[in-house]
Amino acid sequence: MTSGTYTLGGLLAAALVATMPMAGLADEAKVALVPGGPHPYFAAWEQAGADAAKDFGLSAADYRVPQQWELSQQNELLESLLTQGYNSFLIFPGDPVGTVSVVDELTGEGATVISLAGCLKAPSADAFCLGTDTGNSAYLGTKELIKAMGGKGRIAHFTGFLVDPNTQLRIDAVQRAADETNGAVTVVQVIADIDAPEPAEEKINAYLAAEAANVDGIVTTAWVPAVVASNALRRIGDKRIKMVGIDHDEVVLQAVKDGFVNGTMLQNPYGQGYIGSFAASKMRGGCTVKADAPFKSTALTEKFIDSGTVFVDATTVDTYVAAMQGITKDLMGTFEATYLDCPA
Amino acid sequence: MTRLFKQDWFGLLAVVVVACAVITVLKPAFLSSYNLQILLASIAINAMIVFSQAIIIAIGQMNLSIGAIGGLAAISFAGAMEVWGLPVPLAAALGLAIGLGAGLLNGWLVAVSGISAFIITLATLYIFNGITLGITEAQPFYGIAESVKTFGDAILIGPIPMIAMPTVLVIAAMIWMLTRMRIGRHILAVGGNAHAAELGGVSAQRTVIWAHAISGVLAALAGMIVVARLQIGQPTIGNDWLITSFAAPVIGGALLQGGHLSVIGTLLGVVIIAIITQGLVLFGVDPFAMQIALGGLILWAVAIDRTRSWRAERNRVKIA
Amino acid sequence: MSQNEAFGIADIQHEPDNATRSWRRLLLTNEFGLILLIVAFTAIFAILAPAFLSRFSLFAMGRTMAIDIVIGLSMMVVIVTGGLNLSVGATAVCAVMFAGWLIEAMGLPLPVAILGALAMGAGLGWINGMVIVKSGIHSFIITLATMSIFFGVMIFLTRAEAFRALPPEVAAFGKAKIGGYLSPLLLVTVVVALALAYLYRYTALGRRMLAAGASPAAAELSGIRVNRTFVACHVLSGLLATVAGLMLTARTGAAIPSMAGHLGQDWLLPAFLAPVLGGTLLSGGRVAVAGTFLGGALVTVLSAGLLLMQVGEFWVKAVLGLLLLLAVFADKGRRVWLAKRKMA
Repeated sequence: MTSGTYTLGGLLAAALVATMPMAGLADEAKVALVPGGPHPYFAAWEQAGADAAKDFGLSAADYRVPQQWELSQQNELLESLLTQGYNSFLIFPGDPVGTVSVVDELTGEGATVISLAGCLKAPSADAFCLGTDTGNSAYLGTKELIKAMGGKGRIAHFTGFLVDPNTQLRIDAVQRAADETNGAVTVVQVIADIDAPEPAEEKINAYLAAEAANVDGIVTTAWVPAVVASNALRRIGDKRIKMVGIDHDEVVLQAVKDGFVNGTMLQNPYGQGYIGSFAASKMRGGCTVKADAPFKSTALTEKFIDSGTVFVDATTVDTYVAAMQGITKDLMGTFEATYLDCPA
Repeated sequence: MTRLFKQDWFGLLAVVVVACAVITVLKPAFLSSYNLQILLASIAINAMIVFSQAIIIAIGQMNLSIGAIGGLAAISFAGAMEVWGLPVPLAAALGLAIGLGAGLLNGWLVAVSGISAFIITLATLYIFNGITLGITEAQPFYGIAESVKTFGDAILIGPIPMIAMPTVLVIAAMIWMLTRMRIGRHILAVGGNAHAAELGGVSAQRTVIWAHAISGVLAALAGMIVVARLQIGQPTIGNDWLITSFAAPVIGGALLQGGHLSVIGTLLGVVIIAIITQGLVLFGVDPFAMQIALGGLILWAVAIDRTRSWRAERNRVKIA
Repeated sequence: MSQNEAFGIADIQHEPDNATRSWRRLLLTNEFGLILLIVAFTAIFAILAPAFLSRFSLFAMGRTMAIDIVIGLSMMVVIVTGGLNLSVGATAVCAVMFAGWLIEAMGLPLPVAILGALAMGAGLGWINGMVIVKSGIHSFIITLATMSIFFGVMIFLTRAEAFRALPPEVAAFGKAKIGGYLSPLLLVTVVVALALAYLYRYTALGRRMLAAGASPAAAELSGIRVNRTFVACHVLSGLLATVAGLMLTARTGAAIPSMAGHLGQDWLLPAFLAPVLGGTLLSGGRVAVAGTFLGGALVTVLSAGLLLMQVGEFWVKAVLGLLLLLAVFADKGRRVWLAKRKMA
């Protein structure tokens, strides 16, 4: 009854494992980078994780994506990853509050958690939040748009998922930038929840078809709407409507070069993934976060670290990669000293 | 009977004309070239999706998997170009073949097992969708051939987009099939009364398989056109096809029990839905309210369906 | 003939009359088969990945299972009538968001909000039931429409904003562990299942539901108010959907509009899979509470196991679809075999 013995052995081993705490045994960092769902923005995390694993000797830094942009899927994936032995999590929260619960559980089981590119609503058990200051980025981007529009006009704002913690921050920031012109510039339309190709295509085209004559500028603060709006402006062709986009999709960059889009706000997904993995490995190795670290405060959390943003226009678009790498290097250079307390 | 058909047909046409007139008066931008282009593109795609479902409604069944088939064909089309470097015609043929295969599978499972199409296509919905997710890992295929992207955006003439061409051809083919070809008559016969059709010598099994095969091909075609339009092979294509695919045929005169399908009526159903959706955007109606409108449309459509079948029943009784 | 049979959703049944003993054998076969499958798959996964049986893994599975089973039960009580309820997800989200609103906007205490949610769920179910019986139109189409309407109204009223300031007891309940392995949510599910079993076995209402579902015409003749009974089934479905929604809210700690996906359609897979696996016939008149429970458990075991298998993540849906297909074929095969034995 060899198969029976194997089965018995397997079950015994399983029983043994069942009594062990999940994370905390392994000293080597096994990092999982988990976005909220499939989305082109996070593609850079995969490479960042791979590079970090190599550079810092991590046992793994894997990019694992929930099947759909849905909170239950992300939760189940995180639970499964914990079971699979990952002890460090770099998470983009599927929901700023909805993810707090599962992060509590992960840290309760001994894992290290860092929020990446999107923050949890305090109080939360993550070590800190490393991301773009999206409010600031949207604010700066809108200011650039207003400049391009000549200081007056009507703006349409296309932005991301409503469950994305950053969306409300961005909506508020764009409004703030417009308000500062004392009425010269107004936000006439905000279309949210369109960070996926089909709804973006449908809603942006329908809107522009109806209202193109009543809009002077477009600001997009999410990846997919930026791509779709760039294409739409290219189709319209008259370059009357100014636009500032976000992120570095090829379509957007080409549109900037060709003059249909005035510029784009870059974020730093690679840097986030790379530095996040670095921080995780340090923390698994015994470092702790400094109690008096110079964190920034945002509407969501008190433990925010800015991963950098840069406005790129037609003159600087060809060197954007170098610009982002520069920011990442700067941040990396001082990260440990600024934010971590490491045993000697 | 024919006069009744025609009556409904004209009724719908009247609704479309009146709606367009009203909207144009209130918002002249409706008739702008760009807006018409968007409208026609949307109608072209939706019509394809709707006919994929309509043919199954005609045989008295339901096909829940049209979106999943569309998505699978879409990513296969895109993936074949990006990963295997296939030229466009071959990649398109692959997409159509997948649609055909999926449809045949559905039809065969339904015909052979006698299990209802609802449950079979519910299961295949998840199977096909799952395969799509498994292959793509939720990442879209970006490497679409330039010619496809141009096709998705190009204009034929005036405001009519190129992508309207396949739809026009399909509509013509459907009308021909249902009125002149034997398979068309068989489909309507099986839908009306499968038992009587069998007695009359029609192979219900073969007809069901044919109908599902056609449905699969149309769904695949719709998926590939969406790829041309979106310019990427997105795995989520087809996720929201279900509601429209039922609403339009019912508005257009198809009876849910089967046996009756008006191609022009169904097309007008698609047009009505497109106009109402566009209208809602034009009037700045809260996009969130769109869902409510869609649901309301369905209820209205089935109320009409109910009245129509009740009237048909009553007329049948009258004659007898 | 039930609605499902008339509209080709279920295959026409020709059940043998003298079937008590073979009914029991049938029942036994189905539940026993499911238990066998659960044990088999658990063993396979445990051998391939011993962490499958770890304390955290079992806890997480139990919790996911608890929610999915109740979703399945909410569909089951409508399938009994020979119809369908596609709006289970939308109903649950509406009810839960209503509770969130009661707590945050109206300042009402948690127990009142829970009652409010249940009332809303029952009310929406009542609407479904009334429209279906009054119009005579198939529940597939009606609930397809109401799914859209309910969800749309909810999104419109809440502007798709989540309620994130729920009392801490909510999240605490979701995270609680009994003995380190068991989630209280699973206990809730067991109680609900037992209550339903009691309903169908020992109460007049339950028996009326079964009779009306099996053959509406015969039931009407024997004095049962079929329409009223059907409405009651839909009310029950709304209630159960709400319970599942509340459980999910406890698990995430926030009332989020996207908790069941767009239009609530992410719930349709577990809603159908559990009852069908469990042996509830689509033609109505037969209910299998234990079967639905086991069916839901099997689905969770399979999904969790596949997630654990590094290759399995994106193939979960396909496997579940295949499972559904196999289940209906097996069921059909069994019925054909039984009918043959009756004939022979």
